Amino acid sequence: MIKFLQFIMIRAVMSIVTLLIVSFIVFSMMELVPGNCAERYIAFKNTQGQNITIEDIQAEERRLGLDKPYLIRAFTWMGNVFFQGKFGDSCILRLNINHLLSDKIWLSLGMSIGALLLSYLLAVPIGIYSAVSRNPIANNTVRFISYLGLALPSFLFALMIMLFTTVYFGESMSGLFSKEYRDAAWSYAKFMDFLSRAWLPILILGWAATAFALQTVRALMLDEIDKLYVTAARARGIFGRNLLWRYPARHSLGPVINSIGFDLNRIFSELPVVALIMTLTEMGSLLIDALAFSNDQQLAGAILVILTATIVLINFITDIILALMDPRVRQGLLG
Amino acid sequence: MGFFFNKNKKSDQQLKEAYFTASQVELIRSRFKSNKTAMVAGWILTILILMGFFSEFLSPYQPTMAGRDKKYENGPPQIPKFWDENGFSFRPFIYGTKRERSIKTNFRWVVTVDREDRRYLRFFVDGWEYSYIDLEWDLPGEFFDVDVQALTFSTHLFGVDKGGIHLFGTDKSGKDIYSRTLLAIFTSLKCGVLGVFIAFVLALIIGGISGYYGGWLDSFLQMVTDAIRTVPQVPLFMALAAFLPQEWSAEAVFFVIATILGFIGWPTLARRIRTHVLSERSQDYILAAQLCGASSGHIIRRHLLPSFTSYIIIDLMITFPYMVRLETALSFIGLGLIDPVSSLGSLMQNVSKADVLLNYQWYFIPVLFFITFILAVVFVGDGLRDAADPNMIKKK
Repeated sequence: MIKFLQFIMIRAVMSIVTLLIVSFIVFSMMELVPGNCAERYIAFKNTQGQNITIEDIQAEERRLGLDKPYLIRAFTWMGNVFFQGKFGDSCILRLNINHLLSDKIWLSLGMSIGALLLSYLLAVPIGIYSAVSRNPIANNTVRFISYLGLALPSFLFALMIMLFTTVYFGESMSGLFSKEYRDAAWSYAKFMDFLSRAWLPILILGWAATAFALQTVRALMLDEIDKLYVTAARARGIFGRNLLWRYPARHSLGPVINSIGFDLNRIFSELPVVALIMTLTEMGSLLIDALAFSNDQQLAGAILVILTATIVLINFITDIILALMDPRVRQGLLG
Repeated sequence: MGFFFNKNKKSDQQLKEAYFTASQVELIRSRFKSNKTAMVAGWILTILILMGFFSEFLSPYQPTMAGRDKKYENGPPQIPKFWDENGFSFRPFIYGTKRERSIKTNFRWVVTVDREDRRYLRFFVDGWEYSYIDLEWDLPGEFFDVDVQALTFSTHLFGVDKGGIHLFGTDKSGKDIYSRTLLAIFTSLKCGVLGVFIAFVLALIIGGISGYYGGWLDSFLQMVTDAIRTVPQVPLFMALAAFLPQEWSAEAVFFVIATILGFIGWPTLARRIRTHVLSERSQDYILAAQLCGASSGHIIRRHLLPSFTSYIIIDLMITFPYMVRLETALSFIGLGLIDPVSSLGSLMQNVSKADVLLNYQWYFIPVLFFITFILAVVFVGDGLRDAADPNMIKKK
């Protein structure tokens, strides 16, 4: 048990180090964007008709702490993010970032994790089936779909669906809520309304991940299925689903769980593009806005850190699940 | 009969000998050739690349604004015909078009096809000039400015006497979609190749150092590599693309985009290279070289690198479609190469309206080329990977 706690501790420290490195890189990137917050604030005042001088900018820089050395600012920012979860203010929108993001983050994360679940629910059974069955049609279809997942990127897939629904059903599937629920508080009715509209973006987000997971599951199953222990089990009279789930599937599950983090990464990559096409107002399109159209470094940095933190967290959890699932590791750790 | 049998046996023996003495590259090549899908994909890819390389020769009009056809905007594709109700012709022809706008057409431009007006296709016509070597660098100082144009031609594969011929139709400003698609394939190809190359150089240095020296340096580099790998690619790309000033020229944007692609893509490659180096490092022949007093640089260059060159090339081939996809996705949302520049992403940006699906379906032709292109690269990459993996022979 102590060994197990030790293992968890080591994993946790490693995750935190990863996050620290990432947030340092993100902070450095934010600094590289030309212009700082003080200039932005002052420039805003300038548009209000005030005359500004160099001294004004310097005073503002002092007030915001921008005159301090680079490393000190980096560590202050990282400290605020880690220990208090505060991302500060966005100097373009002049709003608190935590306040701005709170709702949107949960929506985006919920949709991404929904997409992840969907892709694994589809990929695991289909992948196993296609590996086991000698049916060439099923096999080739699965291969084709997984290649198409790469060649038909989700932005194209989303676009096709959007175009077809608008043209042939006259109804646009864009947006996450219908009008009457947009500003309403969360309730069962609002949740159902959300689900009735969110399934399409979730499906599209999961599309590429499904194709990849399908390929992984199939390849792993193909590797395991011809091994001797499976033949031995078959010789003992175990067959059908029983055989599959108890022997080869269990072995190939490890690497599949390992790949969850990367699939989430992939889904996050699709998020902004799909969000833009489907005009969803959650985190993805906020990111596009923050970066491309207004150079809002603070907001962009916050979003990047949150996305990465989610992936690191998922990796941490899957590492522990993996350790618990593998009997060799489990016995080594739990004694 | 016996004679033939003997001969067969002998050639069998020879085959065996050839198999055992063949180099790694020859083995991979022969295995690749036996994979039909990959071979077909390889041919398609070669054709696409050649089409891209000779895009100026193959396209009758300039793919930029300069080559636009003012009288044929949003025009449907014109497919050359050999015969119609007015008889047969050996020389393929298209019809002339007229454009009019009046109260009858609700004041919109309407293009009508005149089936009596035949315009015959001509081959190897003279058109706009293009050069294969075209360097125009505006470096500081008069003396250093480079302005070289060489291999200039003006011959094009086909064209028509009067009016224009647009195989894939035209877009809303009258640019020829066929010419743009050909150029776009090449642009995306160049962008991907440059991105993969930059990623490769970074990965080789970082992964090589990490694998060869090991120890704390390895742990540290692996940590950084892993950290970068966890950041989602597209958001990271968007953050980096935000540095691009709007007023930069198309070439500058192109190079920056390719560079960012490289900077994002290196971690996965670096990991693979580290694994290769790590497993080769402890081999006897490396030890022998070390005992002979060879320097680290010499061992890396002469012994380690050749031992896995073929695998690295295949890794690059597998990474390549991801690079192209990333560039396309970014251009598609308007953060990469934008409209007057022809890249597959910027061409696909045009299809993002419902209007297009209803009225201008030919805008989708570049999408088909994109899918074909990516699929061809993926199949070739997979074929190469299977060919390089000796364990694959047993399976299937």
